[in-house]
Amino acid sequence: MADKGNDPAAIWQTMIGEMEKGFNSFANQAMASPEFSKVMNQVGGVSAGAQKQLGEMMEKYLLAMNLPSRAQMVGMAERIQSIEGQLNEIKALLHQVHHNSLAPEGGYGAQRPPRTRRPPSEGEPK
Amino acid sequence: MNAPAGLDLASIPERIQSEVQRAIQRSIKGVEYIASSGPSLGSTPKDILASRGTMNLYHYRPVADEIYRVPILIVMATTNRGYILDMVPGQSFIEFLLKHGYDVYMLDWTAPKPEEKRLGMEDYVLDFIPDCVRRVQQDSGETDVSIIGYCFGGVLSLLYASIFNDGPMKNLICFTTPIDFREMKLFSNFSDRRYFDVDRLVDSVGNVPPEMILSSFEMLRPASRAASQVQLWENIWNDEYVKAYRMMDRWGTDTLPLAGEYFRAITKDLMWDNKLFNGTMSVGGRKADISRIKVPILHAVAEHDHIVPYEAAKHLIPKVGSTDKEEVMLKGGHVSLVAGANAIKRLWPKLDNWLGKRST
Repeated sequence: MADKGNDPAAIWQTMIGEMEKGFNSFANQAMASPEFSKVMNQVGGVSAGAQKQLGEMMEKYLLAMNLPSRAQMVGMAERIQSIEGQLNEIKALLHQVHHNSLAPEGGYGAQRPPRTRRPPSEGEPK
Repeated sequence: MNAPAGLDLASIPERIQSEVQRAIQRSIKGVEYIASSGPSLGSTPKDILASRGTMNLYHYRPVADEIYRVPILIVMATTNRGYILDMVPGQSFIEFLLKHGYDVYMLDWTAPKPEEKRLGMEDYVLDFIPDCVRRVQQDSGETDVSIIGYCFGGVLSLLYASIFNDGPMKNLICFTTPIDFREMKLFSNFSDRRYFDVDRLVDSVGNVPPEMILSSFEMLRPASRAASQVQLWENIWNDEYVKAYRMMDRWGTDTLPLAGEYFRAITKDLMWDNKLFNGTMSVGGRKADISRIKVPILHAVAEHDHIVPYEAAKHLIPKVGSTDKEEVMLKGGHVSLVAGANAIKRLWPKLDNWLGKRST
């Protein structure tokens, strides 16, 4: 067998690994500077601000066009989610009632394993 | 002509044959990869005990004939889904705990809805966790509860344990939990108060979108995603590698949004003022000083954690007031500490060994 130093596949993998490490390390150094934070947050801030303004403008436009806005659609989605949530709760409740009705006298708790386990002593297989 | 040193000429045909076979397998499996869905995750049988907005409480069905007296409540990190701890059978932390006789509950999160943007730190620490602890007590019939917190779930568990230091917590286990947020150097720089206007962000977007959370995690190792895809292609002939890759990749990209007010509190109280480390943290007007924690505590940290570096986590054990306390540093990274082959042989047995004798 060829040793690892001559195996092209191993050389390729090592190269990828080293490139990854090198690039990560270089990028981490660059991102640790206050200048990076300043630029990143300026760009992020402008984009968040622009997103907000655009949203407000679109809302006015959609209102004029007699179309539902995103906020209204989100509101409707929230109501559906809330109904879904309540259905899940009812489902969980029904499941619990069904579970209890199947449980033997003394309740479901009687079916659970006893809480008497002790840790294995030293040297004993687990 | 002589062969270079270390090169065995006789092995070359065998090597070429193996590479050709792998190349064929890559093409076949590559098509399969694109056409198929990933493995089903989080499938250990469980019951939903409570579901309220972003909060979900599961109870996993015990499998051992005899279980420890004290149940465990796992508090998941709010940025990610709990199925990282319940991958496929044989690689599931939950399954491991069940087989080793623990009664396991999990507080897991779903994406907060737009109307939940007002959820703050106090909702998580003073409402969701205490509510789940009460439900675990009620369901198990036991007063004592051990808590395991992963990453930011560990921070929430520490805050809970500091405020409710008179019980009913029996043991506390934290996995990769930061307390000195200055030492999370890049996150700290990204959220530099001179440039990062958290109020403007939260007021604009409500809940912080998952893409933003994911990209801030990915920025910590910007080349790693591309490199992992190259490695995937290299190993696509290997079913086990592909399965592990798909599990981790799916989980890694399945990031949750963060409730707006909660994110604002994390930024101001933890990232900017480092209140947990300084002992000045309070939640809903209640002091949360970790020196008030007296229960047995285990903190597991990873040697190569790029998200929570050791410097950010190392003060936890010295600062808690417990006398029975231990920090264990294990090989691995932020995720491989708790899931995958590394966790199976390192963290899980260590945890069982520590917790078993404290769960009777």
